[in-house]
Amino acid sequence: MILEPIVPTVLSIRRLPNADPALVRAYGGDPAKHSALGLVTCDQDDAMYVALDEATKQAPVDVIFAKSFYAGAAHASGRLSGEILGVIAASEPEAIEHGLDAIVRCLAHDACFYDADGKRTVTVFPHVISSLGEYLSREAGLPVGSPMAYLVAPPIEATIGLDAALKAAEVRAVKVVTPPTETNFACAWLAGTLDACEAAAVAYAAAVVEVASAPKQ
Amino acid sequence: MVTYASVSRTRQLMTILREALGSSDPLPPVPPLPPIPAPPARVYTPRPEKHPFAAEAARHTTALVGIGHVGTRYATDVLLQFQAELAITHTAVGAELPDDWAEKTGFVPVRSRVTSHREFLLRPDLGRRLDDDSLAVVRSRCQKAVDVQIIVADGLSAVACMQTGKVLYDTVAQACAARGLSVGTPVAARFARVWLEDEIGQEVGAKVAMILLGERPGLGTGDGLSAYVVYQPKLGNTDGDRNMISNIHMRGTPPDEAAQRLAALAQAMIAQRTSGVTLDLAKLGEVSRGYRAPQVRQKLVGT
Repeated sequence: MILEPIVPTVLSIRRLPNADPALVRAYGGDPAKHSALGLVTCDQDDAMYVALDEATKQAPVDVIFAKSFYAGAAHASGRLSGEILGVIAASEPEAIEHGLDAIVRCLAHDACFYDADGKRTVTVFPHVISSLGEYLSREAGLPVGSPMAYLVAPPIEATIGLDAALKAAEVRAVKVVTPPTETNFACAWLAGTLDACEAAAVAYAAAVVEVASAPKQ
Repeated sequence: MVTYASVSRTRQLMTILREALGSSDPLPPVPPLPPIPAPPARVYTPRPEKHPFAAEAARHTTALVGIGHVGTRYATDVLLQFQAELAITHTAVGAELPDDWAEKTGFVPVRSRVTSHREFLLRPDLGRRLDDDSLAVVRSRCQKAVDVQIIVADGLSAVACMQTGKVLYDTVAQACAARGLSVGTPVAARFARVWLEDEIGQEVGAKVAMILLGERPGLGTGDGLSAYVVYQPKLGNTDGDRNMISNIHMRGTPPDEAAQRLAALAQAMIAQRTSGVTLDLAKLGEVSRGYRAPQVRQKLVGT
């Protein structure tokens, strides 16, 4: 079904209540303040990035590591690998629990890819974040709390979609990642008012659906 | 019912777009939140076999040794026990001897120059001298030229004074009388420090002054009494002139045993005409060197 949410699957959730400092350092954390870790793998990388950002809003945790895996979930290295490993860190194991809660809630009910052609052979991620958390605001170079449209689609759809999105509303491209990426999708982050971000996301999704239905027009 | 619109703005937008694009077949229901399995509960038990020295030491003291740890913290039961013990201590420090306690219990009431409990805690110097009214009371009501003048006082724990002060006084007075020593008029002092015995003893002309007072409360021990004994009490004596017994309570040195030792101390002081560091305790015999079993920590919380 067109634009049906494809709910991400959380493949693993583990904690390290007192991780070794060498490990924390290697994964980008600061052993002085990050002793407890929460680790999640998921089959949708972009939904996970949004969920990790959500965790920084809901709990005193830092995202120290989040990387997509090459070629995506369809070519994962194992059944628990999925498409991304996200690591949140805090000084207290209790904070990790709240962070994991937020991640699971966001993945189940908010961030997800959508079916763009009714057969799930083309998918789109036209996500609007109404208020950025500490993690994505740092990545995007935007103030915490500002809105952002997080747009992902396969290469040709993403290119057409981005053009439509930029023309649909008063938005500014803060980051455009051209293909190929690790998962061979293309990605764009657009900033503007919340209304503008929403209009851009809708235009992007509509354009992706349109390209998927008429690829050789 | 959970709908897409209620959980996520993006999902709401996509639902609207979907309808605008002409797909109106209903979406599957929103799946419920998946449960997050709780982290495995871990019960940490102290492993005495790992630290036999600490375990052995813990059998001889109520100090917090051999309590183990959970990561970098105390175990919960240890922490709760600590808090409960600290509460007992705070209660004892904050307690005050009632005004009429001395008279009701059969003592001559006196007080130091301290006027309030807070001042008592902050000004040890004022707690070492009698106020003018009390000085007059001592001069008019107390028997003079006795062998032993015994004073009961609140000290730093009025709780201890009220619980065992009377009992200890009675047994000490009996023990002294049994050794042929004359005992002075029973006096109870409020807001008193140890050195108050010097002024009272000097006024009544006692050979030996003995003050039984609540001692500085420790963790979980708010009911301990100390006894300080001095030969030829006079203003200007120092702590080097005194002998003392601490931890007089049922889990430490029981009042009966303490009374025997105190009477023996007083008798030895009169015989040797000295007290404090110059007193030869070896001449006291066995009574001064009784074995005291290690104090056992009372479990205040948990099962």
